[in-house]
Amino acid sequence: MNTSNNVLIIGSGVSGMEACIMLSKAGKKITLVEKLSLIGGKTIKNEETYPNMDCSTCLVAPIQQEILQDPNIDVLTLSTVEEVQGKSGNFKVKINKKARYVDLIACLGCGMCYPPCPVSLKNEWEENLIDKKAIYVPCSGALPNVPVIDAALCLKLNGSEECNKCAEACMFGAINFSETDQIIELNVGAILIATGYDMLDAGKLQNLGYGKFSGVYTSMEFERLFAANGPTEGKLVLRNLESIPQSIAIIHCVGRDLVGYCSNICCTASAKHAHFLHHKLPDANIYNFYTDICLPDKTYQKFHEDVKSHSSEYIYQKDREKMKIQETDNKLQISYLNNEGKDAAITVDMVILENALQPSRGTDQLAEALGVELDQFGFVEAQTFHIGSVVTSKNGIFVAGCIEGPKDIQNSVLQAEAAVAGIISSLDQ
Amino acid sequence: MNDKIGIYICECGPNIADKVDIEKIIQSISQMEDFQDKELIIKQHKLLCSVDGKKFLEEEINTNELTHMVCAACSPRDHDSTFIGVCKKTNLNPYMYQMINIREHCAWVIHDKEKATQKAIRMIHAGMDRVLYQQPLEEKQLDSNPDVLIIGGGIAGMETALSLASKKRKVFIVEKEARLGGKSAILKELLPRQGVNLNILHQKVSDVKGNDNITVFTNTELDSVVGFLGNFEIVLKNNQAENQTTELLAGAVVIANGFDLIDPGTLEKFHYTEEDEVYTAKQIEEMLSENGRISKRNGDIPKSIALVHCVGRPEVGYCSKTCCNYLLKISKMIRDQSSDIEIIDLYKHYCLPHKEDQNFYNAQKSKGIEFIQITDLKLKGNELEIIEISGKKRIVKADLVILAPAMIPAEGSGKLAELLKIEQNYTGFFQEAHLKIDPISTNTDGVFVVGTAHGPCGISESIIQAQAASGKILTQLIPGQKIIPEVMVSEILEAYCTGCQTCLQVCSYGAIYFDEDKGISVVNEAICRGCGNCVGSCPSGSIRTRHFTNPQLFQEVKEALR
Repeated sequence: MNTSNNVLIIGSGVSGMEACIMLSKAGKKITLVEKLSLIGGKTIKNEETYPNMDCSTCLVAPIQQEILQDPNIDVLTLSTVEEVQGKSGNFKVKINKKARYVDLIACLGCGMCYPPCPVSLKNEWEENLIDKKAIYVPCSGALPNVPVIDAALCLKLNGSEECNKCAEACMFGAINFSETDQIIELNVGAILIATGYDMLDAGKLQNLGYGKFSGVYTSMEFERLFAANGPTEGKLVLRNLESIPQSIAIIHCVGRDLVGYCSNICCTASAKHAHFLHHKLPDANIYNFYTDICLPDKTYQKFHEDVKSHSSEYIYQKDREKMKIQETDNKLQISYLNNEGKDAAITVDMVILENALQPSRGTDQLAEALGVELDQFGFVEAQTFHIGSVVTSKNGIFVAGCIEGPKDIQNSVLQAEAAVAGIISSLDQ
Repeated sequence: MNDKIGIYICECGPNIADKVDIEKIIQSISQMEDFQDKELIIKQHKLLCSVDGKKFLEEEINTNELTHMVCAACSPRDHDSTFIGVCKKTNLNPYMYQMINIREHCAWVIHDKEKATQKAIRMIHAGMDRVLYQQPLEEKQLDSNPDVLIIGGGIAGMETALSLASKKRKVFIVEKEARLGGKSAILKELLPRQGVNLNILHQKVSDVKGNDNITVFTNTELDSVVGFLGNFEIVLKNNQAENQTTELLAGAVVIANGFDLIDPGTLEKFHYTEEDEVYTAKQIEEMLSENGRISKRNGDIPKSIALVHCVGRPEVGYCSKTCCNYLLKISKMIRDQSSDIEIIDLYKHYCLPHKEDQNFYNAQKSKGIEFIQITDLKLKGNELEIIEISGKKRIVKADLVILAPAMIPAEGSGKLAELLKIEQNYTGFFQEAHLKIDPISTNTDGVFVVGTAHGPCGISESIIQAQAASGKILTQLIPGQKIIPEVMVSEILEAYCTGCQTCLQVCSYGAIYFDEDKGISVVNEAICRGCGNCVGSCPSGSIRTRHFTNPQLFQEVKEALR
């Protein structure tokens, strides 16, 4: 079989998934590599997307299902690309596929295996807001709806005791402790990098108190707090799981000066967060702290204005570095320079930090394995000689989505579609 | 042939078996009075979606020569396609099967086993009633034309054409002006992040002209278009010669008709005349291209220049996305000319949405620009009355004022929307099929929108969108590959249609046309998506959507509500 016509897609967010579906329609065979146990990327962590408040799951789940059922698409979860050799039209790829310890075909996702598991650990996918068991799916609605066992913490797999509780609870014999990590070798003709972003560690902004004061949240923590399938099933409560915040401040451009660029999506995302808050807590006071409002789409200003008139007061702060958050009597005091350059302060129950987007963790290693160049910020560099480009420094390797730079869902999908045109052209040459 | 209905209940391991009483369901179904004259085959299986389960179903259909099948199992979202796949391996038409979700709707949500069982029985009964009224449907295959029509010969249109032509697609470009190149043709230079070489843009014009797969019609506009993905019949007309028309066929249409700029003279807060030293950024760019330098009308070099952002933004209601960078580029060109000219940059919000933009901003700032953040501004000649962000009012005077007017939809966009049966967003720019996940497609299959026709954007984004449209077309419209339209579409019963044309107004896809001769509405099945809008709107009840007909739905609902 001619494998030079096959495509490797790394990352299963909206960009990677769009490219998968399109290439499959054109009759290509695709291997989709995802490092997590579920596909869908960051979009599925958001309950709703701006500006139309479309339900994210409703947008993405049909695409996820289509990918999982498509015979042209081989989905490798818990997998990372370790090594790539060769050139456009003939890449040899080495993939490390970690053991799931649960059979993807035999498992129905009934969830009977988690309750008996004696081990609890933080659920990273839920921004550590809740615990999970050593056998888990990251969230309800995860696709594939098949759990994974954390080998380091599972008592049986780490050798601490002969625990068999999950296997005993499974009616389908789907648990397989003897599964091992595998190295998979493939030949492909073209590669798409669509590994997305991670958020800047908000703890780096010491003046804002993240990690020190329990009332300070990152934007992604807040997204999960709002989500119906999240840790509180969508109930907006503070970390003690009881107090309902009555006043909330949303801080824009967190870490912008540290990373050196505007993250593109945060102004609209923070308007969405104000909308969420107002929707669930109609009596709460909501404040957006900004320096510039960036609304780069034809539909975003209207949305922003709606939020500004109904949901949130917008407060200008003159100097981002002068903002300081302190905790007194379980309240958070925000001091800042106001529009006249004078000291001002307000007190709130909750702070949401709209932190900057960064290249996803592991990009350095991946770029080295693939032999593509990164830009000064660590994003995969698209070649400017094409002016608008999804072409990396290496022939036959393309890039789409937030790993090329911060952008919204629409522009991530557009880049994926553009990359498909490039891939189709490069394959048939 | 007698009806022979196979009813298969999946245990889903313990998921269904433990929570509903399957034996009771089987007993109850087998004794249903309204099915006493039908032959029923009722069986349960441990796991219908498993390899064994699928094989079991296939053998059941074949050996029993089933005419109808009902699977009571999980959500259709999980395994509808699995069971349709089984049907397709047999002689049973997939539209003669019905799936009933007794897991999510019964087993998983009702704790009382007896109640869960009763609901499951009722749902299966409803499915059995429905399936009897179902009819076999067959997929059609249509030939398709892989050629592409592109409306607009600017950067987005040319890039789409070149990308498609590189894959040997025949492309027609229609440009209403006398030349290709669009608005980017007048640019003096690009942003640093867009690459160093403006020649690449000019090169595209000659590449398009020299490409054998691309035919360019200048001074030409779209006159009419009918058809659907894979089969559009198109008439073009020459806008210099009234009667000169060209007819052609294409499988897809790409709209790349660009943008216009709002005229600042029409805005309430901008008062100036031809004599004042007030220019749009575009005029400055033209001035630089012609004279190589920025000067006043009398030829003197200005000592101070004020740059005004967001001109017309409050009126149009959106950010034009490119102007902040564009004015930074103008600042750079001023600095390239002289380090002495004072530059005053009056902005409300600096919008720098690309990762490289902040660097460009910092670089220009270091060369000496006075940035003043304002909340409002009035222009009278060369004088600007501003309100600073602090609330302070003051007057700024400059020898020369440069305005960045908002981008607005190109003239003629409304007519194009009508011709191609696509929607315009409230801003007047074209509406995407889905803002987030299908941003290059439109409501009409096979019609795509790229570049600034889609909304304000820069050259890089226009090119990405052009390539995206090319990607969509290369994967949707493959030479020699048949197009399979949706099967579950609307049909109009000729005898009942009164010709009121209500359905034409509610159809979002332009799938219904009016047959003047017969005086009735007709559905074009290749365009219809089966949404059912027309069914609900028809006063004479003459429209039905296949597989969702009134009798089918009535049977199902009747039993469910009994």
